Amino acid sequence: MSTKVLVITGAGGVGKTTLSAALAVTAARKGISTCVVTVDPARRLADALGVERLGNHPTEVKNQPGLAAAMLDVTASWEAMVHRHAEPETAQRLLADPFFRALADRFPAAQAYAAGEQMAEHIESHRWDLLVVDTPPAGGGLDFYTAPGRMQEVIGGRLLRWLTGASLPGRRALYKVTARPALKLADAVLGGPLLEEIADFLIDLRSLYDGLSRRASAIELHLRRATSIVVTTAEPTPLREARRFFEELEATSGRPETVVFNKQLPAGWTDTKNLRSAEITQETRVAARENLTRWASEVRRQHDVKQEFAARYDLNLVDVPWAESAPTSVDALADLLTESPDLLRHLP
Amino acid sequence: MLDRKLTFVSGKGGVGKSAVTASLALLAARRGLRVLVVGMVEGIGVASHLATEELSYSPRRIRSGLDALAVNRTDALDEYFRLQLHVPRAAPTKVLSRSLSVLAETAPGVREIVTIGKPVFELWQGRYDLVLVDAPPLGQLFSYLRAPNTIAELVPAGPIRNQAGRMRRALLDIETTSLLLVTTPDELPVLETKDALDQLAAEPVIDLAGVATNRVLPELSLTADEIATLPDGPHRAAAAHHDAVRTQQQRWMPQISAGPRLPYLFGLHTAGEVAERLADIWDELI
Repeated sequence: MSTKVLVITGAGGVGKTTLSAALAVTAARKGISTCVVTVDPARRLADALGVERLGNHPTEVKNQPGLAAAMLDVTASWEAMVHRHAEPETAQRLLADPFFRALADRFPAAQAYAAGEQMAEHIESHRWDLLVVDTPPAGGGLDFYTAPGRMQEVIGGRLLRWLTGASLPGRRALYKVTARPALKLADAVLGGPLLEEIADFLIDLRSLYDGLSRRASAIELHLRRATSIVVTTAEPTPLREARRFFEELEATSGRPETVVFNKQLPAGWTDTKNLRSAEITQETRVAARENLTRWASEVRRQHDVKQEFAARYDLNLVDVPWAESAPTSVDALADLLTESPDLLRHLP
Repeated sequence: MLDRKLTFVSGKGGVGKSAVTASLALLAARRGLRVLVVGMVEGIGVASHLATEELSYSPRRIRSGLDALAVNRTDALDEYFRLQLHVPRAAPTKVLSRSLSVLAETAPGVREIVTIGKPVFELWQGRYDLVLVDAPPLGQLFSYLRAPNTIAELVPAGPIRNQAGRMRRALLDIETTSLLLVTTPDELPVLETKDALDQLAAEPVIDLAGVATNRVLPELSLTADEIATLPDGPHRAAAAHHDAVRTQQQRWMPQISAGPRLPYLFGLHTAGEVAERLADIWDELI
């Protein structure tokens, strides 16, 4: 079974996770066997899907036949990666190393890379027709595409070469004679055995390189084959992040096929004139006009923002209406996309 | 909001923290203070709200009394080692200078202290009455605020540790330093803000100036019954929409203690307009 992959990216707070779930529910209802991988979903969304706890391992969604869901667990992903690519002894040393923890916990590319690993694993399991991947918001979602390359760089020993000045940093014995005494000297200035420890850590990290490098190339290939959907709203911050997809990414890897504008208002609201009804009071009429006038200015702003965006990148945009309250059931999730048929054409 | 010399502004991504930072700076400058705005991890957001081009590491004059800069790691690292650790530019060995960069990339806390060090350094320089920082979003904020403690756990003695101690004291000094959180009255921002408040209570690394709630919808002067009497069409739909969104907002707003409330701004096209309007609103609030 070959799996179609939809990668949903965009800035934090634009409704990516909810839209990913909505797409997945809609697909499952069309009889497409689907798995959705989310990043840190709100309690409410987990409730809506009827799942109590999600982890890297997909679980069946009770409320929706044909749908499975998983949630990215960065720490577990990193542990699995180290065990896969390193000798047992090195793996133990690495997992206990504070520098390694720092790399896995805080390096934004590390989280994005772990998400990519999960995606690859689910694709290669061939269990589903459709995989919907909700991505970490770091770098406006761009990190998800650049992480495999950046991980290769970090683990490939660039830092180690730089630190030790050696061309073959993998050779522990050579390092002990050449670089270590110099690092000791530097540490004496800084006040702790920092650099020595970092060098030891980087040597261990480098042993992951061959395995991780092959994996990173596989992930990049999956990403090139995936359909990229960027979610934004008409607000300045998410729009700026959405633009970066067109300005910073190579056309081959992740140029979005569709940009979704979430929280859109009906175009018809600019018609503020006609309000004829015998049954309403003058005060009601004035209040209703005043309110519609405010919202009409928002409709015009959204319209202008979208026009400029579509013209600049020669794109089809998909509107998703502003949902007043968060969906609390699979039915409500499916309802979100009933007015956005252009988005559903991406389903297999 | 303007009474501490150094104020960090943070919040969940997308709630408008750059707009709030810029608007407070505009107001302070209008009131005659010498103000510096610092874009800590990404300067472009606050730059657009100040209606200026991308910022650089050296302060740029935006208008009378108002300068702005953006931290970039290379310059910040250089400044950190030269001016704060007093490592001379021509470092004793080639290995040392290379090592310092690797240190900043790898050691937990070093990259963060270098970045958060810039606004604190500007405070120490004393050239401004007020330093307003467009800080990283909530998800990353604590790794920066905790950086001095992280370094103290890692380095037993020496200049890095001593500098971290000075930074820690500066962040904790309630006379000069505070944190302003921004949220919107929506579920996820409110829940994330509550988590941050809990974290601050458990580990008080900085004094909280307050929580500002942004994009609060005004009261609708129509009751549900009156909305129901409107004929089918945009007037009724917009009224029902406003009512429904506002009801949700009223549900989430009480979950965090009352702070300044900034209204939803309808139909403003540019980031600069938004910040100017917010500055007018702050002017009535503080």
